[in-house]
Amino acid sequence: MSRTDHTLPPRPGRLRNRLFWIGFLALFGWCLYDFGFSPQRIWQGLGRLGNVLSFMFPPHLWTEWVQIREILQGLGETLAMAFLGTLLGALVAFPLSFLGARTINRMGWLRFGLRRGFDVIRAFETLILALIFIRAFGLGPLAGVLAIAVGEIGVLAKLYAEAIENSSARPVEGVRAAGGSVPQGIRIGLLPQVMPVLMSITLYNFESNVRSGTILGIVGAGGIGFLLSDRIGAYRWDEAWSIIILIVAMVYLIDGLSAWIRMRLIRP
Amino acid sequence: MTPAVVKNSFGRYAGVAESLQSGGMEPNMLSLAGLSRAFGDTRAVDRVSLDIPEGQFVGVIGPSGAGKSTLLRLINRLVEPTEGRIRFGARDVTGLRGRALREWRRDCAMIFQQFNLVERLDVLTNVLVGRIADHGLLSSMAMRFSDAERTLAFHALDRLGLAHKALERAGNLSGGQQQRVAIARALVQRPRVMLADEPIASLDPGNATRVMDALRRINREDGLTVLVNLHTLDTARAYCDRIVAMRAGRVMFDGTARQLTPDVVRDLYGTDGLAEIDEAVTSTSLRRLEPA
Repeated sequence: MSRTDHTLPPRPGRLRNRLFWIGFLALFGWCLYDFGFSPQRIWQGLGRLGNVLSFMFPPHLWTEWVQIREILQGLGETLAMAFLGTLLGALVAFPLSFLGARTINRMGWLRFGLRRGFDVIRAFETLILALIFIRAFGLGPLAGVLAIAVGEIGVLAKLYAEAIENSSARPVEGVRAAGGSVPQGIRIGLLPQVMPVLMSITLYNFESNVRSGTILGIVGAGGIGFLLSDRIGAYRWDEAWSIIILIVAMVYLIDGLSAWIRMRLIRP
Repeated sequence: MTPAVVKNSFGRYAGVAESLQSGGMEPNMLSLAGLSRAFGDTRAVDRVSLDIPEGQFVGVIGPSGAGKSTLLRLINRLVEPTEGRIRFGARDVTGLRGRALREWRRDCAMIFQQFNLVERLDVLTNVLVGRIADHGLLSSMAMRFSDAERTLAFHALDRLGLAHKALERAGNLSGGQQQRVAIARALVQRPRVMLADEPIASLDPGNATRVMDALRRINREDGLTVLVNLHTLDTARAYCDRIVAMRAGRVMFDGTARQLTPDVVRDLYGTDGLAEIDEAVTSTSLRRLEPA
């Protein structure tokens, strides 16, 4: 195919590629060795896993109302924590995001400071925030709600600010050219563009908080996770499995519902 | 080389004579005196002086980057001048701030090449945006407009043949319809001057004609001063009482369509070896499509 008849020069990347793979395999092998992976251990573990899984059948069915109510309350509490945490986070993130958006806030130092602040908050995993808030506010859903809310401020403010920056400046210019003030330009020219996007982002984060909300319960910050860790701790694996199945069903339902709403929101 | 009609009114309003002269001036004359705007080292608009009497239909032509768009934005004060003055009648527009600036923008409506509508809002609300200068923060946060304003907006739409689209989303309309919505929005501002920045550059010939006809009708029926940037020479010739040509930020021709000779056009666009500029090449008009 080639019209030139001299041979190609050796590819300079060859050696580097080989060294990379050798380094990669060495690291992988060392990790396996250091953590004590051995086929024997894996095999034993699989055996016990099968044991644990076998408790799933038949799943435990609660018969007394008191028990059913406890489980439902746990599920409801997780949902409520995710809802309230996301909402509180969104309420704080919304005004902050305008100050963090390049197209709105022309004061570079303030914008930069805020953006770095969002980054610092995002560096804290919700779980770590929950452990901190449990120390301060005690065990229970309040610590969980605050952990979600604070974590969401960092995430949502960043995502909102990006959505605002990606919006078109033309409608805002149109409002300003008609004699509108800066806030009027934002309200009429900008918000109708970005609101559906912001709502969609918020819903998506609510979904993900329902999922992470179950973990918060395990460290004692309220919700269904607390019941789950309690059952596991007491070796009541049949009940634990039923709770896990319910959590999966709830997350699945919320995901579907939220995906449906988001589709309708962002439809142009 | 230099056309005979270039006006030079530098310094006309300088000094003590200014206040005396403005008294004797036409009440709603739009006057630009030595108006300049620099972006870094480039002077986008370079000492432009123009007097535009009330009710004139003025076309601004010139190559891309000549400063036409900046000139219009300077007049509407979307861009701040680096030097020079803008006056409207006895009113000095150059230094207006806050409330007074918003009122000037209301009186000096502007339409854009890309229409600048809020696509997710309905057409009527977009037209009502033209009333925004008279609204405080609270009523505009709720986007509430009075019945009288809604009627006014509806009439403006009706005048542009778009009453039946009032409740549709602006983004669903065609380009030509969106531009007419933008004109309706400008009309409810009850302006004295209408600025149009390349209003037909994104439109097909049929819609371009409709938009230009609408501007002409407003000019004739309401007596509004119209200042329109165009890049199609035959459109400028067909609609404008007066043509102002800009190059590199400066006004290099100011006269009637008849005075805009092929020599002037060559000078203006710098034809680099082209024998002549065929105006039909860039034309968006319908008449040109018919066999001669």
